[in-house]
Amino acid sequence: MNLAITKHGAAPLPTQYLTFLLGEERFAVGILHVKEIIEYAGTATVPMMPDCVRGVINLRGAVVPVIDLSARFGRGVAAIGKRTSIIIAEIEDGEGKQVLGMMVDAVNAVVEIEPPDIEAAPPFGAHIRADFIAGIAKCQGRFVILLALERVLSTGEVVELSRHAVPLATASSRASP
Amino acid sequence: MNLDQALQTFITESRELLADMEHALLNIDLSQDWGDQGEAINAIFRAAHTIKGSAGLFSLDHMVAFTHVVESLLDAVRDGRAVIDDDMVALLLACCDHLSSMTDGLAAGQYEADPDTVPEGERLLQQLRRRMGAGDEPAQSLAEQPLTVRPEPDVERMGQAAGNGDSDYWHISLRFGRSVLQNGMDPIAFLRYLARLGRIAGMATVADALPAADEMDAELCYLGFEIAFESTADRAAILGVFEFVQDDCEIRLVAPRGKVSEYVELIRALPENPIRLGEMLVQCGSVTAAELAAALAQQSQQSQHPEVQGEAGAQPAQEAPQRLGSILVAAGQVAPVVVEAALTRQKQAVEQKAQENRSIRVDSDKLDRLIDLVGELIIAGARTSVIGQRLHNAELLEATSTVSNLVEQVRDAALELRMVKIGATFNRFQRVVHDVARELGKDIGLAVDGEDAELDKTVVEKIGDPLLHLVRNAMDHGIEPAAVRVAAGKPARGMITLNAFHESGSIVIEVSDDGGGLRKEKILAKAVERGLVDPERKLTDAEIYNLIFEAGFSTAETITNLSGRGVGMDVVKRNITALRGSVDVRSVEGQGATVTVRLPLTLAIIDGFLVQVGSSVFVIPLDTIEECIEFAAEPGQDYSNLRGQVLPFIRLRSLFHIAGAPTRRESIVVLRFGKVRAGLVVDTLLGEFQTVIKPLSPIFSEVRCISGSTILGSGDVALILDVGALLQAVDGRGAVAPAPALPALAV
Repeated sequence: MNLAITKHGAAPLPTQYLTFLLGEERFAVGILHVKEIIEYAGTATVPMMPDCVRGVINLRGAVVPVIDLSARFGRGVAAIGKRTSIIIAEIEDGEGKQVLGMMVDAVNAVVEIEPPDIEAAPPFGAHIRADFIAGIAKCQGRFVILLALERVLSTGEVVELSRHAVPLATASSRASP
Repeated sequence: MNLDQALQTFITESRELLADMEHALLNIDLSQDWGDQGEAINAIFRAAHTIKGSAGLFSLDHMVAFTHVVESLLDAVRDGRAVIDDDMVALLLACCDHLSSMTDGLAAGQYEADPDTVPEGERLLQQLRRRMGAGDEPAQSLAEQPLTVRPEPDVERMGQAAGNGDSDYWHISLRFGRSVLQNGMDPIAFLRYLARLGRIAGMATVADALPAADEMDAELCYLGFEIAFESTADRAAILGVFEFVQDDCEIRLVAPRGKVSEYVELIRALPENPIRLGEMLVQCGSVTAAELAAALAQQSQQSQHPEVQGEAGAQPAQEAPQRLGSILVAAGQVAPVVVEAALTRQKQAVEQKAQENRSIRVDSDKLDRLIDLVGELIIAGARTSVIGQRLHNAELLEATSTVSNLVEQVRDAALELRMVKIGATFNRFQRVVHDVARELGKDIGLAVDGEDAELDKTVVEKIGDPLLHLVRNAMDHGIEPAAVRVAAGKPARGMITLNAFHESGSIVIEVSDDGGGLRKEKILAKAVERGLVDPERKLTDAEIYNLIFEAGFSTAETITNLSGRGVGMDVVKRNITALRGSVDVRSVEGQGATVTVRLPLTLAIIDGFLVQVGSSVFVIPLDTIEECIEFAAEPGQDYSNLRGQVLPFIRLRSLFHIAGAPTRRESIVVLRFGKVRAGLVVDTLLGEFQTVIKPLSPIFSEVRCISGSTILGSGDVALILDVGALLQAVDGRGAVAPAPALPALAV
């Protein structure tokens, strides 16, 4: 399945997007964020992390965390299906470039979307947090939610979540000043 | 030769020399007399001198001008015309700093004097001149005195009968080596530089070695010079001009009013025809025609009776004639005993130098890349042996075991490349202690131990700041004023001790002081006042002491500009924790305090032990494991009976919320970290594994108990347990300390 899509193949405007499925819903991310797509082959679980962090995988010698997009959107931990894939994405945040994996139910296609076809996110109505949405595009007669990856994969937010996630089970109640 | 590269070398060298100079300055024992300070003063002088010389090559006039004055003062000290004392050390240290800032400016592309630092330089120069004036002779008036004013030791001179020459000039006889030009040195540049020390009164060019035109190689230097030189500079200063070519050059110096016999020696030593040479000496003005006649006559006489010379010259003549020392003795300038001592020291210095020069500089990025590759190699090797085991191919297994053995050695060698001794870091604190002690008005010394303990360069780089803070803190808060110390029956001079040693895969660095120690009641009162602890809680001594590492804690009554602002100790702890280290303090009131910093030796590869819980595989650093035992627990309790001792244990499965039921044959891994011992209950033991540490994404920065990850031979990811954090997390539940706390100051 490894249909590796490199940045070099990307054409200039109109922008290319990679669409994928999460349950029944279609989402898209800018192709420039996508390093490659790999088949899901299990992850190593990291203890004491929130549900949205599925674990880590070995990506040719580098240890890459994998975010369960379904859990991140508050829809519960994703079930593993035949078409479950991991989109390896590169995002820029305050601490430099981060490489993360996004677990999705199925990867669809690379589509071209003209900027005029993109509308701003509606203030309500979508079933995911408004700040995760970069815009809503019309594509082949259907709506596709364009994700704001910097927000969805925000390191700071996940760290914040993990801080309040599962406390150490046997940790004592020792007063830490 | 690429000038930029040369300049870079100059910058690097200057920095090293300045560090040497600083080190030597701090090590001068002021209570000693000159004889014992000599080596340190010489080292300082050499450093200043080399910087001046090299700066001259790059036409860095501002540096040359400044260093020259420094050098002159040092020279005065060497000659005993000025006395080095505490203030002078401080002044020279300031000069070091000024030179450092000039070097930094140079590195930033500033080839001229920086207008911002000029006033500072001027101020220093004035102080330097004043110090020179404070010696018995101002520099200027020296010029009026004949240099032969030095005390004449009781050495019988050669050729005494011939008397002294009349010349007031130094005579310099130069024969440049053939390869001087090829080495990028310009003979003329040296002569120009020489002219800065005085006036070239006369010069004769010796072109005798020049072959016929068609045999001549234009890239070789065939020239020599005979120079009469009027200067107040001393022998070392003049020889110093030619320092960069002295290896392949023949340089001979005859002092002003030198003995005629010295000229005779000179003429005899030079390859050219004596008569021709004599003419040249006359020509350049060093020798009068009459003296020459006498000298030539004497020479022929000596060459007929060489043994006469041996007797007349007393002991020096028995030494090899070429040695500088013997020539000096012969010239009656230095007592033989002094020369012998100086020669021994020179030899030692050379040996030390040789040892230092056996190292090469390598870009640390290249090393990092090598370590990365070795890491990949280990993973690939581990994978091969996994396959070998699966195939049950004995031959393949044998081959892979050889390979992994070799890879292990390569790993160790590669890691060793990054290991540096902590001594250099420690020695930097000599300066800090010196400066801070002055600032505080306390008398504080620094003792350093365990300088040879090695640790990874990246760790060394990051440990400097925390250590600096600990040292400053100990000086400011730990060491009491001299009066208080004396009243308490302690020596007036406070001591800070830095110590380093290896212990169970970590390096331990201790910062101790023999000051007043930590006052428990005061710390506790403060902590309660700040709301850091509940007044009802009973704290152990260790817990109270470690409160000083909490944020917003400071007990100093007065806020000094050194410490006491309540920031610092918590930052120290944070920085050390970030390095996967830990920090601890113990103290005996009235006797001092010791802060112990424990750090991993390296951040790249560790020997690990694989354990499995459920489907997850974890790596435990091997050096924290004492043994593995079969699971057994006292009924209903979370502790086990380990040969009669209570061993509390942690169930990894419940700690990490790993789903599934435990296997029927669980094991306990007995861990020890520092003084804490505890067991860890796991499902399966998988064996040893060389673990290449892969950093975890910043997403996991809040995960305690996991220090990193690694890739197993199967390609799966395993997490590395942070044993220190793990034990700390359950500390309150009674992990035991097998040994009582060590007494303070057990260094």
